[in-house]
Amino acid sequence: MKRCLVVISILSLLLSGCWSRRELNELGITFALGLDEGKNGNVRVTAQMVDPGMIAEKTGGGGSDSPVTNFSEEGKTVFEAVRKITKDSPRKVYPAHLRILIISESLAKKGIGHILDILSRDWEVRSDFLIVIAKKQRAEQILKIATPIEKIPANSMYQSLTITSKVWAQSSAVVLDKLIQEIVSKGKQPVLSGINIVGNIKEGKNITNIQNITPNTYLKFDNVAVFHIDKLIGWLNDDESKTYNLLMNNVFDTVVNIKCPSGGKAVIEIIRSKTKIKGKVVGDKPNAKVVMNMEGNVGEVECNIDLTKPHSIAQLEKVFKQQETAVISKSIKDVQRKFQSDIYGFGEAVHRSNPKYWSKVENDWDKQYFVNLPVDIKINIKLRRVGTIGNSFMQPLRK
Amino acid sequence: MGLFRKTKMMSKVLKTNEGYLSDSEHLLKTSLRENLEIIKDMVGNSSDIKIREFHIGQDRQIPAALFYTESMTDHTAIQNFILEPLLLDAWNTDLIQDLMNGRHLFEILKDLIAVGDVKDVTNFEELIFELVSGNAILLVDGYPQALLMGIRKLTERSVSEPTSQSVIRGPQEAFNENISVNTSMVRKRIRDPDLRVETRTIGKMTKTSVRMLYIKGVANDKVVEEVRLRLRRIDIDGIIESGTIEELIQDQTYTPFPTVFNTERPDVVAAALLEGRIAILVDGTPYALLVPALFVHFFQSPDDYSQRSDIGTLLRLLRFLTFFITLLSPSLYVAITTYHQEMIPTELLISLAAQREGAPFPAFVEALIMEFTFEIIREAGIRMPRAIGPAVSIVGTLVVGTAAVDAGIVSAAMVIVVATTAISSFVFPIYSIGIAVRMLRFLLMCLAGSFGLFGITIGLIMLVLHLCSLRSFGVPYLTPLAPFIASDFKDSIIRITRWKMTTRPRLLNQKNIIRQQDPALAKPEPPENNP
Repeated sequence: MKRCLVVISILSLLLSGCWSRRELNELGITFALGLDEGKNGNVRVTAQMVDPGMIAEKTGGGGSDSPVTNFSEEGKTVFEAVRKITKDSPRKVYPAHLRILIISESLAKKGIGHILDILSRDWEVRSDFLIVIAKKQRAEQILKIATPIEKIPANSMYQSLTITSKVWAQSSAVVLDKLIQEIVSKGKQPVLSGINIVGNIKEGKNITNIQNITPNTYLKFDNVAVFHIDKLIGWLNDDESKTYNLLMNNVFDTVVNIKCPSGGKAVIEIIRSKTKIKGKVVGDKPNAKVVMNMEGNVGEVECNIDLTKPHSIAQLEKVFKQQETAVISKSIKDVQRKFQSDIYGFGEAVHRSNPKYWSKVENDWDKQYFVNLPVDIKINIKLRRVGTIGNSFMQPLRK
Repeated sequence: MGLFRKTKMMSKVLKTNEGYLSDSEHLLKTSLRENLEIIKDMVGNSSDIKIREFHIGQDRQIPAALFYTESMTDHTAIQNFILEPLLLDAWNTDLIQDLMNGRHLFEILKDLIAVGDVKDVTNFEELIFELVSGNAILLVDGYPQALLMGIRKLTERSVSEPTSQSVIRGPQEAFNENISVNTSMVRKRIRDPDLRVETRTIGKMTKTSVRMLYIKGVANDKVVEEVRLRLRRIDIDGIIESGTIEELIQDQTYTPFPTVFNTERPDVVAAALLEGRIAILVDGTPYALLVPALFVHFFQSPDDYSQRSDIGTLLRLLRFLTFFITLLSPSLYVAITTYHQEMIPTELLISLAAQREGAPFPAFVEALIMEFTFEIIREAGIRMPRAIGPAVSIVGTLVVGTAAVDAGIVSAAMVIVVATTAISSFVFPIYSIGIAVRMLRFLLMCLAGSFGLFGITIGLIMLVLHLCSLRSFGVPYLTPLAPFIASDFKDSIIRITRWKMTTRPRLLNQKNIIRQQDPALAKPEPPENNP
């Protein structure tokens, strides 16, 4: 009996071992996936695979060859197309290290819910990649553009979007989990950043493009796409994008131009911003209140103002408050009117404060209630520092 | 107590084996000639055994013979303290008067001979044993007994620095091959009448003296009795090194982990005795054994106690961490790169993948080759003649490092992993725990190579179960971790400050567990009135 057990355990070790073993050089490490509309309602998948040997080139002289290779296939489903790629590629797509997923605008307009299923279901895919929309462009084309500095286009896009959404606040870094959660939620609609090609596409495809000091063709993150459920319905402009990000607490650091009380310009760098959205139901009418607590620095002064006086700071704060309140309330109103899609999550705030009321209105929220929702905006700003100099050195000259 | 049940049966067996020394047929004869014949017959005319025949007494009437082993005896002592009194000074009238008055000749001889250790021997077995141990034997015609004179003088290595267990601060002397010197080194550290030394002779041919040292009242009586029984149980032709004893008395043979502690440092032995452990010294080897030995003991260095407690604790934690690094790093590398690539940070994955481009072997085989090569170099480093040491290390570095990578046989990352493992495996203060890790590493690598992290987890679970099942002289091996003894944590994986160490570790229930009184009194404080 004992001997039998030993034999069985040894056999199980020898026979079943190495089941799902894959060596690193058998993996087609895929950094980016692009999804486009194909022919006859098919979906066209573009996978950008990395050639590790090209990137980790020790000796110089690299750069003549591309560090990545794109493979495109069409299929009725995403999975089918991804598997078809093995026909062209020597290695199987390994999507665990996916950095970015690009969906073409035309596909997004028809709805993205069904294509996200495989990405959330497959165990190889991690959910920390960013999702962007190729604005007026095919995702396949975007992936063909060679990028400067960061050699892998997918990495370049990933880095660029992460950093710009933190310090410029006009685009939004959205990962899979968040997107799916917002598609499902009735009180908060999703948005995705848009990406665009600037310059000549044909030239951009060539690796020589990035050998110029100023590349003629490059990729640019631009504005934010508004969704209703899983369908793209429009694009936010710069102010609206920024407002969206401030309200969503996505902003780590951004800059705002304001008018000085005495004319001229000044720049406030917002170093901390915390927004609270509260919903309330008064009588039978919902309303929302937005409280923004900000801290900022005086970043640039191009006007006549004496910063050594405390009341000048108070003046600047006042101007900032007035100006931003106006911009934000206009942006919110525009979104309510144009898109009728609650991207700010006011619905969820109402849901939290009054679940009973919410269950009555949730199905008609976007079309009936969100559109006319009164939003009260309150901004608190504290200017902390004025930088390494007090008054502008131009100050004495201006007098 | 269940732990000791086994040994009761053993003690029955023992009694039948004993007693070959006290055979009545081998008593000395009265006639010197007869005795000489028998002894010559027993030692087979060995050329290093010298027999000096002479006559003693007033008129040189009494035939006598002196036996000694030339190579092991102090010649000056024979000359000055035995032969000279016997043959020249001796026979003044007082003594002869005594003899006439019926006083026993051997009593008179004892007054004559100026040697400290003198003893009567009546049988051949003991006589021969003492003879080959280097003592001189005097036989006198007409008396069925012999006089033994302890004038043994052996060539011995002087006390030198420890070679395999060195410290930064602390005593720099190590045991040598002489058991009396070794005992003295312990005795001089603990000058207490309760330090007991029990000597027994083990080995039918080597007749090696083995000493068991413990502090009565501090060491657990049951463990002392257990050690005594296990030593008595040994029935073997020879003991060359304490390793033989270790193998014969350890609780479990089939385990990679050592359950007997070995040290060449007298200060370690002294400290262990104070904790209530038992030391076994073996003649002819500088390595003493300490029992019971627990898992945590193998991570403790005397430096932990001679340096401050904070660095002592941190270094101990470092050693435990190193234990896991040595054990796991090659297997984790294999498991993660072949099964769980999604766990590697993206940039690292790219650089690892780049190194593996064109690598001919799977990561597992690569790891095996490298670990195997390292083991070869390591073994060669120990065995080779010292003069060619540098040559081997150069070749080793080249083969394992640069050349293997340049030739594309292994990836550079693998060299880093193997090198880290190699360096880590030398951290342990006691060599024998390093051996355990060395062997288990390969087992875990096989599990990692065939099942990935799942296999490693299974391996570690099995390892923990195995460790929990181990006992060292009845004490659970993982004490104080499992069974959990909170008060013993003060000196286990951490080392708290001295004045808080008020009790001895509870290796089974001890009576005398107080080390020092109230910690509040022991806590060092500045005087109240500062001058």
